[in-house]
Amino acid sequence: MKRISDLSSFNDVREAGLSKLLPDRPRIAIGMGTCGTGNGAESVYHAFADAINTRGLGMNLARTGCFGFCAAEPLVNVYLPGKPLVILQRVQPNDVPGILDDLASGRMPTGLALCKIEEWDHITGHVRFGVGLPEIPHWHEVPFFTGQKKIVLRNCGLINPNEIDEYIAIGGYQALYKVLIDNNPDMVIEAVKAAKLRGRGGAGYQTGIKWEFLRKAQSERKYIICNADEGDPGAYMNRNEIESDPHSLIEGMIIGGYVMGATEGILYVRAEYPLAVHRLNSAIEQARECGLLGDNILGRGFRFDLQLVEGAGAFVCGEETALIRSLEGKAGRPTPRPPYPAEHGLYGCPTNINNVETWYNIAPIVIKGPGWFTETGSAKSPGTKVFSLVGKVNNTGLVEMPLGTPLKTFVYDVGGGGTHGRAIKAVQTGGPSGGCIPQEMFDTPVDYESLGQLGSIMGSGGMVVMDEDNCMVDVARYFIEFTHSESCGKCIPCRVGLDKSLYYLNRITQGKGTEADFDLLDDLSRMIRDTSLCGLGQTAPNPVLTTMRHFRHEFEDHIRAARCRAGVCEDLALSPCENSCPLHMNIPRFLQLLKEDRLEEAFVSVVMDNPLPASTGRVCQHPCDNRCRRTGVDSAVNMREVHRYIADAIYPSDRFDALASDIAARRKPLTGKRCAVVGAGPTGLACAFYLCMLGHEVMVYDSNPAAGGMLRYALPDYRLPKDVLDREVELIRRTGVQFTFNTQVPRDVSLNDLDGQYDAVFLSIGTWKESWVYLPGTELTGVIPALPFLEAVSKEQPVPLGKRVTVIGGGNAAIDSARTALRLGSKVTIIYRRERKDMPAIPEETEAAEAEGAEIVFLATPHRIVGGPDGRVQAIEAVRTKLGEYDSSGRRRPMPTNEIIRFACDTVILAVGETVDLDFAKASGLKIKESGLIEVDRYTLETSRSKFYAGGDLITGASNVSNAMGYGKKAARNIDRRLMNVRRWEEVFPSFEYDQAPPAHASEAPRHHVEEVDAAQRATTFAEATIGLAPVDAMEEACRCLRCDVRNGDH
Amino acid sequence: MPQKISLRIDGELIHTAAGQSILDAAKAHNKFIPALCHMKGLSSVGACRLCIVEVAGVGRLLPACTTPVQDGMSVTTQSDKLRRYRRIALELLFAERNHVCAVCVSNGFCELQGLAKRLGVTNVRYPYTYPKVPIDLTHPRYTADQNRCILCSRCVRVCAEVEGAHVWEISGRGVGSRLVCELNRSWGESTNCTSCGKCVQSCPTGAIAEKGFAVEEMSKRTDPISRLATLRAAGSDNKPGVIL
Amino acid sequence: MTPALLSDSPPRSSPLSFEEQDFIDRLIVQHRGRPGMLLSLLEAIQERQPNKYLPVEVLDYLAARTGIPGAQIYSVATFYSLFNLKPQGEHTVCICRGTACHTRGSRNLLERVKLQLGLKEEDEDGSAEKMCATTADRRFTVRTVACFGQCALAPVAEIDHSILGHVNERALEREVDAIKRGGQR
Repeated sequence: MKRISDLSSFNDVREAGLSKLLPDRPRIAIGMGTCGTGNGAESVYHAFADAINTRGLGMNLARTGCFGFCAAEPLVNVYLPGKPLVILQRVQPNDVPGILDDLASGRMPTGLALCKIEEWDHITGHVRFGVGLPEIPHWHEVPFFTGQKKIVLRNCGLINPNEIDEYIAIGGYQALYKVLIDNNPDMVIEAVKAAKLRGRGGAGYQTGIKWEFLRKAQSERKYIICNADEGDPGAYMNRNEIESDPHSLIEGMIIGGYVMGATEGILYVRAEYPLAVHRLNSAIEQARECGLLGDNILGRGFRFDLQLVEGAGAFVCGEETALIRSLEGKAGRPTPRPPYPAEHGLYGCPTNINNVETWYNIAPIVIKGPGWFTETGSAKSPGTKVFSLVGKVNNTGLVEMPLGTPLKTFVYDVGGGGTHGRAIKAVQTGGPSGGCIPQEMFDTPVDYESLGQLGSIMGSGGMVVMDEDNCMVDVARYFIEFTHSESCGKCIPCRVGLDKSLYYLNRITQGKGTEADFDLLDDLSRMIRDTSLCGLGQTAPNPVLTTMRHFRHEFEDHIRAARCRAGVCEDLALSPCENSCPLHMNIPRFLQLLKEDRLEEAFVSVVMDNPLPASTGRVCQHPCDNRCRRTGVDSAVNMREVHRYIADAIYPSDRFDALASDIAARRKPLTGKRCAVVGAGPTGLACAFYLCMLGHEVMVYDSNPAAGGMLRYALPDYRLPKDVLDREVELIRRTGVQFTFNTQVPRDVSLNDLDGQYDAVFLSIGTWKESWVYLPGTELTGVIPALPFLEAVSKEQPVPLGKRVTVIGGGNAAIDSARTALRLGSKVTIIYRRERKDMPAIPEETEAAEAEGAEIVFLATPHRIVGGPDGRVQAIEAVRTKLGEYDSSGRRRPMPTNEIIRFACDTVILAVGETVDLDFAKASGLKIKESGLIEVDRYTLETSRSKFYAGGDLITGASNVSNAMGYGKKAARNIDRRLMNVRRWEEVFPSFEYDQAPPAHASEAPRHHVEEVDAAQRATTFAEATIGLAPVDAMEEACRCLRCDVRNGDH
Repeated sequence: MPQKISLRIDGELIHTAAGQSILDAAKAHNKFIPALCHMKGLSSVGACRLCIVEVAGVGRLLPACTTPVQDGMSVTTQSDKLRRYRRIALELLFAERNHVCAVCVSNGFCELQGLAKRLGVTNVRYPYTYPKVPIDLTHPRYTADQNRCILCSRCVRVCAEVEGAHVWEISGRGVGSRLVCELNRSWGESTNCTSCGKCVQSCPTGAIAEKGFAVEEMSKRTDPISRLATLRAAGSDNKPGVIL
Repeated sequence: MTPALLSDSPPRSSPLSFEEQDFIDRLIVQHRGRPGMLLSLLEAIQERQPNKYLPVEVLDYLAARTGIPGAQIYSVATFYSLFNLKPQGEHTVCICRGTACHTRGSRNLLERVKLQLGLKEEDEDGSAEKMCATTADRRFTVRTVACFGQCALAPVAEIDHSILGHVNERALEREVDAIKRGGQR
């Protein structure tokens, strides 16, 4: 490499570089940062190299860094002279021949195109590739890049990091040249100060002020250090910056050395980044050869050199005093400040330490000036920051955004929302020193101050997105585990305090924690924060303190109910499926019993966990499917259908009678206590069953003439045939539960009467009241609410249904109404205001409705119902909506457009949600929450009135069968505890001996789906629409279970 | 002549020389600030965090041993918060290792025990760790029992800074930190140890002690070491190997 | 003030081969007086050792040749997680315990591979969260790393310095099996 000593030699190198970037023949550049290589970029590169070689093509092949969109790696840049630069995504070696064919014939391979770049602002320079290719979006039109502003990452993924001339071609080392020519270091410092550039390592201290300290320090020897010991787990921007563009860092440091009067610079890079170390070392070498490092830089008489030191794996060395001790050959234990490094640093000499990213901002500030810099970002925090957006979002990668951008832009717009459509719960910022920010606070602008107010920090820019499958207590525990193992051990609060914090968090995640533990942990966390020696200890409790603040209910779940909703804390659950089941059925057990061909025992196991298995087997929302570990192999075990199979195999058989007697015989001796259950729906039936089995005398009141509630009167027969339900109720009756039908509480029996006659009362009334929407025209004839409609059909009463029906809503009631109307011979259209993925209905049901001929219109909000002169419905008008901003539920809010759509119809079914009729509760001493639901203790289900418990829809609003039954079961347990004052719940359940070994290898069997009756055939009848699993399929399905309930070492 | 400055400690106006720490200034005016890792004559490391004080206008708590006095400073050495935090720090030390005072040679003379008594720490709320740590009896004259060690590093510093032998260091990190002799040798095999006993005298607890002492017998003297260190700093020479 | 130069005092009779001594002497000359010298020396020495660790004889020799107190060298060698004081296995399986990997289930990967190789708690050095365990036959070392900086590929494992992204329990098991079988041939 030629030594650069004047402008003309500078320009020569520049020309050489430009001819590489914009050659007169095709150029292919493969993104080969570590992330690209990890995704297979190496084999793509070799495929290109081999093919170009064997075909003898006149094309240039280069390696470049990473353009940031890690989820779309391997990325390949292709350039044809005169055309825009096109970035191809997810390129595999077998794509290579096709790409080369296209290029060889002068065509741009568009199939894999992610985006195109017509011109690029490198800030220090400008590159025009070419225009055209309208079919490919501009880079900033790709959602992942929209809103990004690349200042730090200006060159990443576009130039070859191993070639200094490419860096010089895009204006590299111009800033250094300018600074040396100007020969006015104070001016540079003033510019950095005026730009209000803040340290990008996390603390956010003003860089210009720090520089001024060192410049003013009097010493023969001064050091400047780049802190590239990026240790925050979840943050990797520094790695990418160095791998993709090492010269920008070197240039920033030479400028820093010049203006601060230092002649030695040290790059402290973590050893876990071998590629970054390699590229930086070779870049330093090239810079030396070009006369940009060493003596007489650029012929201006300035001497400065850089040395790279590899850190050896100690997170605490990110702390500047620890880093200095480490360089001095000592253990990286921080020392107190004062004295500050600017006066007494490395070997006692004045020292400046800046983070990698801080150095990347220097050249742009020098070239463009502070005024340009402060145009971006917020007033207190100008400029951009690079964040690593990882975790449970669709688009993972490095994003550079102006400071002050709201968090939701990162998560939803750039990140594309949660993976697999899961709801996002929180974002963790700042790594182990930061905290978790809950989804309700995603409007927060991302800058130093705003994050600080929430108890978190910006840190080095890690953003880890968490969804409902992440337990926040576990996350807090994880971070304490991390800082605990990274603590240097010097000061007591951090060394011992974190050890004890970890002890409490372990206890809590194991379900052994107490409220006293929580308080001790809180107190200890504050002490560690306030008294630790260095930043590591002072910030280590942040993850715990923010979780306590923003996710206190999760701590309470673990402590009070030994429950981890996310199913992460393994000690608190038998298996992920059991944890997700509202009834906490021992799913692996019944699967194993079936596998061992012990059907009758499997039935007992199922019924004792869930007294209505044939019903839930048909209509449960099956949350277990989403949690099944088998998903990682192929797809979830079809647990719902297997327990339906078990129930269906026994109920109609001659074995039922004996089994029912066996179960009834398990009832505990009579306790003499009397309990009333109000409502014979699934909630009430579950509660009554368990109270009865526990030996209490139970009376169930219901206003209807038969038991089942919604199961009987809202679920259409084609989903749940009545005879199936009848047999289940029969079993419950056999255990000794008594019913009083046609009796409404409180009309026929008052709450005071119940209070006088019973020792405990459980209220479980369903949501029978249809919410009314404000919609002009609802008074018209032909507008009917969904539930009364379904109830009338199930009672075989006449319903005034027309020929063309429109259903408004997207829940199960809407789909049930639609499918019922279809069966009654109507033509049906469903109008839903959001997208398909937002529908609360079970997806299989929605699909079945469509197969049967229902039309679903998404993104349309009803506007008015149009009536004719006869007062009958004629049509419904809806406003077409488009998706707008993300709302607090993480779904995009439908925004009205000007387009009105009209559907001619004669009947409108409103299925927009149901509520509970609570008129009775108002004068009864039951506290009602603002939401219109009864207030209960979350853990015991006790209401404000003693003896009275409530569960199901009464406390949650409209929900589903399994959730409702879960409350009934939980209430029975708590009522028994209160009545008997001893723990005897477990005594009701029989124990089973069965094999406790997980399968050695997952069987190669795909999931068995339930068979549906042909759509045309089933749509005309109320006969059951699905056919349960065949015995052999059920058995195979049971064999698919991976037995997560068996813990390592248990057998 | 160092510059004179004025500051307030717990409300009292104090005139003192610039350049010294808050801890030294307070001591010179008979103000008690608890400390364990600090020892006069050795460098200050700010590790035990017992000497934390509140300084008006500063958001965080500062260690008195490493914070220099400044003109016009107002220092609070006692407050509910400070008492609570110091108490936690002492409890954590007791919970970390196996401090059984009743069978300790330093019982009655131990600085940790003394502070606990003075600060009213009568029980430990945190669970004990009960780590398995080595007891080294290989040195002909001294013993090192890590059950009593609080990792204050006074022995490390006195040996490196005053004696110049650098026999001791802290190995590992976090709760796994242990006092280590040279390349993890037993003390008796040390090649650098001069058997001067400075580490013994500097140890605030019974972790490093002299053989031949029974329970409640091992009182220690740090003053001679501090004087020696001060003399050294003032330029007078000290031959390694002086036995105290 | 600056780190010690090559000490003139000849080392005590060292069990190291002449070659090893020469290697270390050259390293010291190359790094002397430079910041980060001790770290660089230890890194280079460990890398050259067949079992990727720092035997005490080597540290002894280093102390004698540099004049850096043995206690300080030991303190440094035990402080940084990159350094091993015990011989490592032929193959290293390294599981990333970074945040992104943790939220995507890296703990299960670790448990799985430990189970597969028959490693138990008592084989481990250090605390549970910074685990490093070697099988009795010295074929495998399983360890964790705080973060590879490969978060977009989470969960990540590294086998003998090659990164596996988006790895699940099955895939990891297969990889390890392949190495196991490879050795038996």
